Amino acid sequence: MTKRSRLEVLRDILKIISENRGLINLTPLLRKSNLSSQRFYEYLEDMKSKGFIIGRSDGRSGKKISITEKGNRYLEKYSSIMAFIEEFDL
Amino acid sequence: MQMQQLAMQGAGMEVVYAFVIIICSLMVYISTRELYRLTSHKGIRYFRMAFLFFAIAYFVRSIIKFIIINFNLRAVMDFHIRSIGPITLFFFMYFSSMAIFYLLYSVKWRDFKDKMIYLFHGISVVIAGVILLIPSNTVYLIINILLLAIFAFVILTSRKQEQSRKKKNSLHVVYILLSVFWILNILDILIPNIVKTYQTLIYLASLFIFLLILYKVLRKTGAD
Repeated sequence: MTKRSRLEVLRDILKIISENRGLINLTPLLRKSNLSSQRFYEYLEDMKSKGFIIGRSDGRSGKKISITEKGNRYLEKYSSIMAFIEEFDL
Repeated sequence: MQMQQLAMQGAGMEVVYAFVIIICSLMVYISTRELYRLTSHKGIRYFRMAFLFFAIAYFVRSIIKFIIINFNLRAVMDFHIRSIGPITLFFFMYFSSMAIFYLLYSVKWRDFKDKMIYLFHGISVVIAGVILLIPSNTVYLIINILLLAIFAFVILTSRKQEQSRKKKNSLHVVYILLSVFWILNILDILIPNIVKTYQTLIYLASLFIFLLILYKVLRKTGAD
């Protein structure tokens, strides 16, 4: 199995959240992302700073992550982005 | 009177040519804005910068052409033109070289260190300075042929690596053609008579390449 690129990992994480009706607990997200805990939190911070996700604290079930409009836009544009990078060999 | 008419026609062609290329380059820059905003991908960033610099370089080029056309008409080199000329020439060479380097960087950014871009800025300033300080056609030719050779070498070796990974990418040919015609555009400014016979052909080929790249960009970005 080849190593996923940064853009692929972002897509995978956002897809997991999106398929969970746009809201997911942190623990199952970490499990489903297939990343080490350190890398997962690095990506999470990156995605927060980009405005793709928002973290919410829920008293009962711990921290939840929700996808933003920009995150959904990334998912929509993902195939165009990859096609563009490949076309122009970037 | 006839000379004046010819010069006016030449100026008209220059304006249309520069306008189309500048618009194409700016459209490439603008239409890739969202892709860059979403990804912060370095390759996309340098690709966009290349076309922004092409737009600026063509704008400066049209100023120089304007000065040349007017200078030929009046046969007088007044103080203002004498001071504006070298400054615009310096900026033209700087932005031209950087446009080529950015394009190169967009393809090879994985192999280059981040700080390498500052080295390219430095090289471009040196190229612009040398062109300004040593007014010799031989020097102009050597510098531009060297620039083209470096670009072609890096692109071709990158293409070789890619072929070994069994990927096809015809865009490298477009990149090389773009740089060849761009260098001819630079030489057209530095040594005005060198490509005069083929000037229209060079302009048409350059327009075709920029329009082709714009078409590919708009098709891939969805152009929304």
